[in-house]
Amino acid sequence: MKVSPQPGATTLLVVILSTCLLLFLFQKIIWIVLPVLLALMLYYILRPVVDALVNHGLRRGPAVKIVCLLQLIVAAGALVLAFLFLAKAGSWQSNFDRYLDGGQNLVRKTTASLEKVVPAFKKMNLGVTVDQHIEQFTSTFVGQNLLPISLGLLEWLPSLLLVPYISYFMLNDSTRLKKYIIKSVPNAFFEKALLLFSRLDASLQNYFQGLLLLTILDSICLGLGLELLGIHHAILLGVAAAVLAWIPYIGSVIGCIVVVLVAATDFPDQTWTAYACLALFLAVRLLDDFVFMPATIGRKLNVHPLLSVVMLFLGATVAGATGLFLALPLFGVVAVIGETVAQVVADQGLRARHRAARLLTAVS
Amino acid sequence: MRFFGADTDAQKVEMLQRIPIFQKLTRNEILEVNDLLHERIYEKNEIVFEEGDPGHGVFIVVSGKLRADPKHDVMKTALMDVGPGESVGELALFDEGPRSATVVAVERTVTVALFQAELTTLLTKNKNIGVKVLMEIGRIISKRARQILRHEQHIPTL
Repeated sequence: MKVSPQPGATTLLVVILSTCLLLFLFQKIIWIVLPVLLALMLYYILRPVVDALVNHGLRRGPAVKIVCLLQLIVAAGALVLAFLFLAKAGSWQSNFDRYLDGGQNLVRKTTASLEKVVPAFKKMNLGVTVDQHIEQFTSTFVGQNLLPISLGLLEWLPSLLLVPYISYFMLNDSTRLKKYIIKSVPNAFFEKALLLFSRLDASLQNYFQGLLLLTILDSICLGLGLELLGIHHAILLGVAAAVLAWIPYIGSVIGCIVVVLVAATDFPDQTWTAYACLALFLAVRLLDDFVFMPATIGRKLNVHPLLSVVMLFLGATVAGATGLFLALPLFGVVAVIGETVAQVVADQGLRARHRAARLLTAVS
Repeated sequence: MRFFGADTDAQKVEMLQRIPIFQKLTRNEILEVNDLLHERIYEKNEIVFEEGDPGHGVFIVVSGKLRADPKHDVMKTALMDVGPGESVGELALFDEGPRSATVVAVERTVTVALFQAELTTLLTKNKNIGVKVLMEIGRIISKRARQILRHEQHIPTL
């Protein structure tokens, strides 16, 4: 059998540079990239449900409509619950201040304990220094960032409303869209292009289904752990922290900080509860890195761990938080495209066949 | 303007139903399968695929004629012209092995291609259609194998 040439270092470099360029561009149009990405995730999650209905004798069109209707009902229910929860929770500002005070108290108690155990810390005025830094941070953060962040979140709402709409058309028309794109590929590269599509599809399906599985496992572990520790809204916090973990590294830290703040505020006299929350997050993080992630996303995406870390850093440098979120899935997609294009470019036989076909078309 | 909407008309359904691989399918099933088929047009003397190429799917002739030209001595007995309704390259649906012959268009030829990924899609998502198509492909391969066996006792591989 003719063996396709294996992509080398040049291909890898081109793939990395292309990923960075795309991340940079995507950052500029993130208002549409994010809904498309979320719709893509929904598409890969809901596709097996549509397929199951088709397998039971329903035609694809009605099956897609049923699944999308159910999806809308679930989304509407989640929105209603969220609004109820927010209404019950009181004003954002007062809650934010309350949880911040709770966190500050925890830090004060912790530094005081540390100063008792390690006298050197007392000489360094650890408690006072840390307190000053936190005061400075919270006053500038609340003053300068809280309002823009809240307004930014509100700006996202119209864009997020596109998600069910896009996912409906993805479920309904993805096969036809694929046919339409493939139609424009010359005969000589047709089989390669189809293979590329299949590999891309499998790669994305594996990534998003792996991510969903990871989120469910994290939600269960965190939700159960927080419930055992007696934290209010344990399941909700567990799910929120698991979803936040979609943003590599930073997401987990934010999730952990939120839960520790809640624990410190709800149990001001039991600092051990906040410490236990921190320990729980560290344990789940370790489980993620060594058990869950390799078993779900890592194994399925087939990206070397070192390359993953490099891409995350590059992504963060090029496109900030957007880059962190998109770096790995985008790298996976660009790598598959890059490898296939490299194989086609290096295959002189295929290119000669394409030239001959163009001549034949011109003659006929 | 329709960019990637449904492109199935009555004539096309009728044409697909005349192809042996799809003859057991109902009209609705044909519509499902049509979404997974890729139409390709080859000019006279254009190569469809070459011997040794990694294969991924079967090409079914809708109009025109293809010629398979295997180099292997045993396969030479199976050298054939592939006309409307007939197919070539079925083995690649199952093993992604190398193509066992070079196939060239003898005249301007319209084909529809069914690929491994799409067959897998059919088998996992729409078992009724998948099994019918698979059985017909099995029959075609079996018929070819018997044709070759009549000429040779030891067939190394198909």
